[in-house]
Amino acid sequence: MKREYVTFVRRLANLAEGKQVLFIKDLTPGPSKYDTKLVRAELSRSAHTLPNGDTLWIRSETGYLHPQHWTIKILNELPPYVPGEPWQDIFTALKHLD
Amino acid sequence: MPFVNLRDFISAIERSGDLARIKKEVDWDMEVGAVSRRVFEQSGPALWFEKIKDYPRGFSILNGPVATWRRVAIALDLDPDSTARQIYAAYEQRREKKLKPAHVKSAPCQENVMNGPEVDIYKLPAPMVHDGDGGRYIGTWDIVVTKDPDSGWTNWGMYRFMTHTRNMLTGWPQATSQLALVMKSKYLPHKKPMPIAVVIGCDPVCHLVATEPYRPGESEVEHAGGIRGCPVDLVQCKTSDLMVPAQAEIVIEGEILPDRIALEGPFGEYPGYRSGTMGEGVLVQITAITHRNNPIITLTTLGIPPDDSSIAASLTAAIAIKRGLKRRGVPVTEVYVPPEGVTHLVVVGVEHGGSQVARQVLDFITARRVMVSKVIVVNKDTDVFDMNQVIHAFATKCHPGRGIILEHYEGRGNALTPCYSADERRRLKGTSAVFDATWPEEWEEETIPVKSSFETTYPDSLKAKVLDNWRSYGLGEKT
Repeated sequence: MKREYVTFVRRLANLAEGKQVLFIKDLTPGPSKYDTKLVRAELSRSAHTLPNGDTLWIRSETGYLHPQHWTIKILNELPPYVPGEPWQDIFTALKHLD
Repeated sequence: MPFVNLRDFISAIERSGDLARIKKEVDWDMEVGAVSRRVFEQSGPALWFEKIKDYPRGFSILNGPVATWRRVAIALDLDPDSTARQIYAAYEQRREKKLKPAHVKSAPCQENVMNGPEVDIYKLPAPMVHDGDGGRYIGTWDIVVTKDPDSGWTNWGMYRFMTHTRNMLTGWPQATSQLALVMKSKYLPHKKPMPIAVVIGCDPVCHLVATEPYRPGESEVEHAGGIRGCPVDLVQCKTSDLMVPAQAEIVIEGEILPDRIALEGPFGEYPGYRSGTMGEGVLVQITAITHRNNPIITLTTLGIPPDDSSIAASLTAAIAIKRGLKRRGVPVTEVYVPPEGVTHLVVVGVEHGGSQVARQVLDFITARRVMVSKVIVVNKDTDVFDMNQVIHAFATKCHPGRGIILEHYEGRGNALTPCYSADERRRLKGTSAVFDATWPEEWEEETIPVKSSFETTYPDSLKAKVLDNWRSYGLGEKT
């Protein structure tokens, strides 16, 4: 069964298809819903490209939900943090992991 | 009698009719938030959600402990029908007194302890407050305790914290907050983690005090004791030397990591918007979670006013600003922070006005981190608590050409100001304006427009006659 996740981006335009490192939140119902994972994953706008992928919802920095979901195939899970100093921009830090 | 814990306060607001118990099971995933928000927008009672989906009976959520002036009055042991002015006056007077805390060895907040590998934040019903938030915010109406390792000064603040993983939180004390200043100057240079305790569910005064912008070095816990009229009991954390209120419902102990970060936010914040603060917070490794039996999470479902933040900050910010203006020699009479203005708007009454006084007010407001973007300065004949009078003074006395003074700044603005662009918010760049609704000092008295009101237009003898005859005019009792 497909799982559902959500990720946050500053702007949708910042998200690219292909292999990415990104934070996702697990939307599986239950007391652990919204648990965060840092994953290396393949992303696609189209479910056809990743037929065994899961659903990825995308929200902007204001929480705006983009109406069209993407597809995500998790390649591996990383520790749920990235190197960086408090108050540093997380997306800049993530880029260094790519 | 002062309240020493949340439960006594809950009993009091239940007796006064200011609490509703929700016995029906509700979902922590937005249902608690949706009900709470709607009740806030109706200025309704505090809500005690007694049965939360996915969690054992006894794990509950209290939304809106002090989201009305009535509940603030009860928290301060005043007449519940006290006016905002009376509440301000009582708080201001009590704020002068400080009481040192008492240290205890055992505490209700440590009746249950999760340590090390047992730590699981998902054992607590942290709510998903709004649709579109970045996660479940366990810290909304909290007290965040940290310490300056050199001076030993313990700081209390109120900052948002959300669940990240089973044993991690992310949070967003603003980069200009006192917590941030200590972290940046005392821990980061040595790459040391900063011990932190996120305390949830204390007596209402402790939380009120945590919202107040005390100056660095001031002891919030001593002020809380003074305002309550009895010392706050403190107990040492299980995994650090931080001291936390012993009567709290829940304490999340941890460390802010100096070299690791994770996604935080966004969150529907106190100005009433989710305006894009995200991904620039701190990461906390939880070292222990302690809680009372049947713990109660205090929640404020922030949004458009009124809510706990807009009401509490109306009180605590106003008193702090008044004190600061007095220190700077401004002839301030009263300060009012209207809850509808969510601390972006402040009304300052002055003994005598003019552009120099307005400038002094603006200089104070923008001296350090700037949380206020608009200040209306009025003469003392305007009741600052009466927004009808304030709007009238603003509309008629503030010269649109020379009565608006601006101050621009960068690096210390309020990133939560919704009208700032995304770039301004990120750079903490902003502008504050003072609207001088006072008469210029250089105007001669005989040239100053005379206010046409009953109080100001007629001779005292005639006013007395009118009032004496009020009933005889067929107008009922004079009010």
